[in-house]
Amino acid sequence: MNARTLAFVCATMGLILISGSAASNARAASPPTLSFVSPANNAVIGNGSPVAVVFVVANFNLTAPGTGPSSPNAGQVEVSVDGAVTSHVSVNAFRLSLASGPHTILLRLVMDNGTGLTPDVAQFVSVTVTRGPAAGSPGLSIAFPQEGAILGTDLYVSYRVTNFVLVPPGGLAVLREGHIHVLVDGAFYQDLADYQPVHLGLPDGPHNVTLQLVDSLHRPLSPDVSASAHFTVRALVGRVSPLDFTPYFALANMGLAFAIVALMYRKLEA
Amino acid sequence: MPHRRTIAVAWILLLGVVGFCVANPSAAAAGPTLVIVSPEEGAVVGNGTPAIVDFVLSNFALVQPGRVGQVGSPTEGHVDVYVDGGYAWMATQVEPIVLPLASGPHTIRLRLVMDNGTALTPDVNTSVRVVATHGPAAGIPTIAIISPVPSQLTGHDVYVSVEVSNFTFVDAHGQPNAPNEGHFELFLAGVLRQDLSRYDTGFLVDLPDGNNTITARLVNNDHTPLSPDVSASVTITVKGATVSVLSETMSGSITLLLAAILMVLIVRRRKALARITKERSQKP
Repeated sequence: MNARTLAFVCATMGLILISGSAASNARAASPPTLSFVSPANNAVIGNGSPVAVVFVVANFNLTAPGTGPSSPNAGQVEVSVDGAVTSHVSVNAFRLSLASGPHTILLRLVMDNGTGLTPDVAQFVSVTVTRGPAAGSPGLSIAFPQEGAILGTDLYVSYRVTNFVLVPPGGLAVLREGHIHVLVDGAFYQDLADYQPVHLGLPDGPHNVTLQLVDSLHRPLSPDVSASAHFTVRALVGRVSPLDFTPYFALANMGLAFAIVALMYRKLEA
Repeated sequence: MPHRRTIAVAWILLLGVVGFCVANPSAAAAGPTLVIVSPEEGAVVGNGTPAIVDFVLSNFALVQPGRVGQVGSPTEGHVDVYVDGGYAWMATQVEPIVLPLASGPHTIRLRLVMDNGTALTPDVNTSVRVVATHGPAAGIPTIAIISPVPSQLTGHDVYVSVEVSNFTFVDAHGQPNAPNEGHFELFLAGVLRQDLSRYDTGFLVDLPDGNNTITARLVNNDHTPLSPDVSASVTITVKGATVSVLSETMSGSITLLLAAILMVLIVRRRKALARITKERSQKP
């Protein structure tokens, strides 16, 4: 190996070392970042399921609390829901059990001693949790009585709900959950918050029952989702009437009256 | 001379490595693998419990993505978990993955990705199909009507009690069908009367007089009958109390009154006749 070749090899190795060192410094200088993988912003979490939160960081080591010195490149993720800190995590995926309604989930990188980075590194997403399904158009139908039916005074209305969960009224208005308004002949009759048939006791005549899906604040859905059934109530329908003796009694009364009059007349003659 | 010796040693080492790879092609070509150990394909996850996914992998190291100074490598990264095509979880350790699932069929897919989230080349993924249910994972559903009993004589309103096995009642709100879960329906003479989703007595009102057949049927969440059909029937006799009509009652009362008057008149007439006859016979 001559001197020129040796010089070339040394120069090449020097360049490689310098470039590697520079690259390492560049990486070390990159600030930590944080981003959500799941859920997507404005996602709807259905069936009341816990929210699976998945995130990724860059240039930051996730470490269990209390396992190392505080460093701006290592620590945990502080989790806040609706402005309140709920936990610190050191894994990329975790679950949050949230009540029905809209929520804001904020993730923030913190050092091992719990202080935030400088500058602050945080991300948030908005989600809506519902006990109903995450998707689908709500539907409602009346299974009984059938349209045009003739029924007795006592009756039960049975109904079917799709893509909507019945919950007691009074909470937040949330997608695909609420209750049912029952209207009989156009007048409010009662709220239904479970899936049991509703009992009606109605006088003879034609009637109309309407069921309407409403949110927890008693507001109809948009678009309106309702179902109606028209039927006629006739007391004692379907019951076998016993033999009516009224006409026979009437005839007997007439005969008895005649006999009484005749008897009185003959008595006077006597 | 030393330079030539170094080159010779390098050639020998290179040939040795090439020879080893030719002799052991599997060692040279072994890439990452990923296998789902459980649940099995088509497994039913019962009782509303989450699916627990166990997996094993080889030639791949799971690491936290985004570590300081991390350099992407096709032999390390993490596992992305998808349920029905949607991103569901990230596994950075080889440990069971707990997935809460709604009732119905689901496809769980696991995929190895590098630190930056890109898939390996070739892609390494595996999937399994499961069915989640709130009902038991196994068993044949049955239903029986406990009350009323066959041929029972009842009034016009009847409570219906059923006994169910291997089946869980859930509110039907449009969720997908799932094995061994749903609700039951009550039919009267073949006409649907009530959908019921609670383990509670049904109540049928205003039944017509005579024989009535009540049927209780287990149905899926979409109200379709199970396959094969699971139902039970009972025939009862309805006989209500006799109902008297007001006009009938009044007419009957008047008849009784007139009859009484007539009887009194007849008695008095007979007495009067007897008295007159006696008076006439005593006169000379």
